[in-house]
Amino acid sequence: MTTFSVLALLLFLAMWAVGGKQGAIAFVSLGVNFALLFLTIVLVQFHLPPLPVTLVAGTIILAVTIFFGNDDDNSTTTAFYASVIVMLLLLLFIVPVEHWAQVAGFGDEDSEDLEGMSLYIGISFLKVEICTVVLSTLGAIAEAAMAISSGLSEIETQQPTITGKRLFGDGLNVGKQIIGTTFNTLFFGFFGGFLSLFIWFVGLRYSIGEVFNDKVFVAELLMVLLSFIGVLITVPMTAAVASWRWHRRPHQSQKQPAVTKVDVDE
Amino acid sequence: MNVKPKHSANWWGTLVCVLFGGLLVLGVAYDAPIYQRPIAKITSVRNERPVKQQDEFENQDATVHQRINAVLINTIHKGQKITLSNTYSRSGAMDQPYRVGNQVFISKLTRGQQSNIKGPKRDTVVALLTWIVISLLFIFMRSAGFMALLSVGLNAVLFFLAINIDLSLKNGNVFVIFSLISVVFAALTLWLVLGWSRQMVITLTATLSGTALAIVISLLVFALTHERGMHYEGLQYVTTLPRPLFLAETLIGSLGAVMDESTDIVATLFELQAERPDVSRNQLFLSGRNVGRSIMGPLINVLFLIFVADTFPLTLLYLKNGNNWGYTYMMNMSMGVIQSLISGLGIVLAIPVVSFVASRLMKKRVMTDDNL
Repeated sequence: MTTFSVLALLLFLAMWAVGGKQGAIAFVSLGVNFALLFLTIVLVQFHLPPLPVTLVAGTIILAVTIFFGNDDDNSTTTAFYASVIVMLLLLLFIVPVEHWAQVAGFGDEDSEDLEGMSLYIGISFLKVEICTVVLSTLGAIAEAAMAISSGLSEIETQQPTITGKRLFGDGLNVGKQIIGTTFNTLFFGFFGGFLSLFIWFVGLRYSIGEVFNDKVFVAELLMVLLSFIGVLITVPMTAAVASWRWHRRPHQSQKQPAVTKVDVDE
Repeated sequence: MNVKPKHSANWWGTLVCVLFGGLLVLGVAYDAPIYQRPIAKITSVRNERPVKQQDEFENQDATVHQRINAVLINTIHKGQKITLSNTYSRSGAMDQPYRVGNQVFISKLTRGQQSNIKGPKRDTVVALLTWIVISLLFIFMRSAGFMALLSVGLNAVLFFLAINIDLSLKNGNVFVIFSLISVVFAALTLWLVLGWSRQMVITLTATLSGTALAIVISLLVFALTHERGMHYEGLQYVTTLPRPLFLAETLIGSLGAVMDESTDIVATLFELQAERPDVSRNQLFLSGRNVGRSIMGPLINVLFLIFVADTFPLTLLYLKNGNNWGYTYMMNMSMGVIQSLISGLGIVLAIPVVSFVASRLMKKRVMTDDNL
């Protein structure tokens, strides 16, 4: 057996043991997401337009990540709407930033990997880079949206008289609690992957000026910063979607002011 | 949350910080004089006719040659006019078109020779995005945003120090060094998020043991399967022994996610105990597992997408160079997938560990709470 198959089997068993059926489904979501990623690359290889393909694949990845392994309908629906909107908003950011930064494709540090390869493949690496950034932020967006919406769903159950406006403020408060650890998840997640690159820079004594203008480094750093921005937009967006959906739902005592004290700071 | 004095005063402070940051970004846009490498600003560009390119795999592309006039904006030659040339392809794997107004690094000026473009100046876009992140943090998150920023900033400094230590020890094992540093990373981060409390010590213990367990199990699996199907040649930018480097990368990569999860679980259990002081150890353990199982799926997906989406450009290039799916996967994605599996194990195993540790330690001495 290969190392991959044993590790995959162990992960499946662990997720099943800890999470039961829900855990097993969450494991399946990993496999489905991998298939979607690979399919995206293959479709781009066949010259389908990268951006539309990525947006469709991205929406499905968000749905899979959010709906697989979570059975609370209310919070998953809110999280899904919010994260799709955030993906689209973030795209408005990513496109000009990537055009301006000119970090698409490969840098001098990649030369060894590219030896003997034809680089003139007729597909714009700028568009591919935009897709890469969009895809790599999706997990973080889905996770943050889920954290906020499940927190709010809990508040909705406990305080059925709450107003939509209060709910929005509560969403921001939940966001404050998760932002520190979420940033660290992203920081370590990305920087773990670039450890070898950083060892390269320090080992070859790149100056600070060289590092902050280096194509590969800037590409990676922009990915981290854009994920941070994605998570930061997700917080108010999820709170807004939750409060909008709460507003539209018929309930008993909408007009009554909420009695509970919630510390909202505006 | 601590009590805020006056909201209006707070907003003015934020506004001043945001505006000041904006000025700094503007400063970076005009910081060419502090660079020693010559920088030129492009004043005019003339594109020649595109030339069709076709490679042996029948990929169609086109290249365009650009004749560029530019003026030097730093060094003692400031103000001197120069001509440059550039060729870019439609796909732009290692080249790019330049436009009027772009600032570019150029090679040293030598008499009678044309200098070459080394690459565009990219520090302004980095500064701008950093500024946007910090501004959004302050606007939406206030003091919580400041703590998040502080912990990311301190971790970045530690990360840099650790790499320096690693390189200064000639025969040091990068995995051992980063294992030790991980303890410091985790302690520092949790201290900033939770403060020095019982809750922090429990979260830290759980984070470290969950991560260690995943690494030990993975090493056992490596030994049992003789690392069949692992392709270290697929790793990028490797300058040292690839195996310890891969393990160190995996360890660091999963650390943040495991901390995130442990923090959530322990916080919920502490809340539960505050509400119902008579809650039993077993109930605490089961509640911990319940919280954990709803977070683990999304968290593993966060890391998975980070590790694997990043290989998109190189994977595409492999496919376009006539490689089959199997070889392309093996060379580009397989290591990222294994990394995700190991991190996933860490994230899942941390759940029973954190629930167990929390349920035992919280119940042991209920009298001496809060301070350790």
